[in-house]
Amino acid sequence: MSYATRRRLGNLALDVLTWVVLLVMLAPVLWLIASSLQTTGRLSSGAYDLLDPTFEAFSRMWSSVDFGKYFVNSLIICTAAAVIATGFAASAGYALARYRFRGAGAFGTALIGTQLIPGSMFLLPLFLGFIWLKQNTPIALLDTHIGMILVYTAFFTPLAIFFMRSFFQAIPRELEEAALVDGCTPFGAFWRVVLPNAAPGLLATFVYAFLFAWDELLFAAALTQSRAETIPIGIRNFVGNYSEEYAQLMAAGVVSTIPVLVAFFATQRWLVKGLTAGAVKG
Amino acid sequence: MSSTPVIVEVTDPEVRPQPDAEPPRGRRRWSGLSARRLPYALIAPALVFMVLIHLVPTGAGVVLSFKNLNTFTFSQLFDAPWIGFGNYDAILFEEANPLRSGFTTAAWNTVQYTALTVAGTLGGGLAIALLLHRKMRGQRLARTLMLTPWIVPSFVVAVVWQFMWQSDVGIINKILVDYTGILDHRPTWLLGPNSLWAIVIPSIWRGIPFAMLLFLAALQSMPDELHEAAAIDGAGPLRRFRYITLPLLRPLIAVQLLFGVIYSAYQFAIPYVMLGTNPGPDADLMMTLIVRQSFSNNLLGFGAAASVLLMLAMFVWVAVWYAAFRRDLQESR
Repeated sequence: MSYATRRRLGNLALDVLTWVVLLVMLAPVLWLIASSLQTTGRLSSGAYDLLDPTFEAFSRMWSSVDFGKYFVNSLIICTAAAVIATGFAASAGYALARYRFRGAGAFGTALIGTQLIPGSMFLLPLFLGFIWLKQNTPIALLDTHIGMILVYTAFFTPLAIFFMRSFFQAIPRELEEAALVDGCTPFGAFWRVVLPNAAPGLLATFVYAFLFAWDELLFAAALTQSRAETIPIGIRNFVGNYSEEYAQLMAAGVVSTIPVLVAFFATQRWLVKGLTAGAVKG
Repeated sequence: MSSTPVIVEVTDPEVRPQPDAEPPRGRRRWSGLSARRLPYALIAPALVFMVLIHLVPTGAGVVLSFKNLNTFTFSQLFDAPWIGFGNYDAILFEEANPLRSGFTTAAWNTVQYTALTVAGTLGGGLAIALLLHRKMRGQRLARTLMLTPWIVPSFVVAVVWQFMWQSDVGIINKILVDYTGILDHRPTWLLGPNSLWAIVIPSIWRGIPFAMLLFLAALQSMPDELHEAAAIDGAGPLRRFRYITLPLLRPLIAVQLLFGVIYSAYQFAIPYVMLGTNPGPDADLMMTLIVRQSFSNNLLGFGAAASVLLMLAMFVWVAVWYAAFRRDLQESR
């Protein structure tokens, strides 16, 4: 075998390997979808018939547990939290990207520091604090949308700030300089000139925060009881009470994955840029 | 990350003459903020939330760890009686206390879970990044689809893997036993010694795409000249990987190790959804233990003390990490 042939065969083998690895990585997702299209009877007897799909589970899952309620709660809480976090991140990220001010370093370190604290560390006091507020004041944060929105906003703001900062750093400085020469105030330059140019970054940051909020389980488990429960809690209740209803569980899994999947692939271009900004710069 | 001079001070004609003076009519407006004060106004909302939701409660959590907060004192909330180092004493030194053995088990499981998950995620991510870095047909499609597991929410990951791990009808045992005959008995995955693997493998699976994405970005930004020169000098692909690619990836590996370990040590969703509030002594992690003792058994003082110990363990990890990788960080700046 000549060198060229060997090389071509080697390349072909690696191509095939790549696609096989991809298939293995996608297999659990494909399995999730395939199982959601079966009946529970088939799944629990192990007699799958992939060629005979049924949407039965998708129509029944909404009544077994009140999945619609969880879904709406998740949408409200995660959208609101992601919007507010993106707003906070845009302003703080801009400050970190463009200004040198006393305390900037400490602020940045503190932001990373928040990621070091185990959730349970501030979950327990927040839980007790929410109960205290409920008993002693008219402020209702336990098991309310507002309470969850506040907590999630605080959670996902730190990483969103770094995300936004990298987008602002990619915007040429000349843009603001021109605005300032034209008589804009510093805030005006940020608000009217830089921010519109950072629209893709804002969208990507929103999706990023939304993805994480959608995934959050620990705080939702402790701080909601019946009214503000989100999808992961609904899924957990499902597992607890209807563990044998596999098809419906899988259907619920598919339904709760679709929003984030759509959001991710719609904004993938900018999202990936933000996620990898740190990796490229080192 | 070049240094950032304050351009505004030089170029803004309106603000420069009176950078700190109050506006004439005593009304401060957003648009009138000076370049010196603007950044503080810009970080203020994020700062307030950080203090209220992260810092103050964390301080309160440390306080709680010195309190005797359980079912009987729960109604007193923050006014529960002090107990000094009692919670820590129970966790660390009281041989006969079941809380201590539970803590030791969960701590050891967490160490194993974290080591396996981080190693698998980084190794798998790097391997797949190298595969996808090669030129091939359909490269873009493959790269995009490879990200899918990372988008699937972790509670869905737990649900689908729990179904796949089922001993009698799960697809994994079907493949291992019925279709290929690799094993001649059906292992139990969700209980007993295998259950740690039942949470490690899905965690790796979900973590790989993100690691892959970062490695791929770093590979793409590497200059080709080094590899070409080495190839001309006769270095094979393995040697080029070992002596060129790997050293260049060191800073990125360092950062991923740092956050990967922290993220894994705080894992909660996957074991909780897959195995329930009590995953059993083989798969109980720190977070599942803390949440179970705090919320199912109302031992909030214990939960707070265990959280403090977990946080301290992470501080130690950061210090160790910093000592090991300090030089890489300086080089990359």
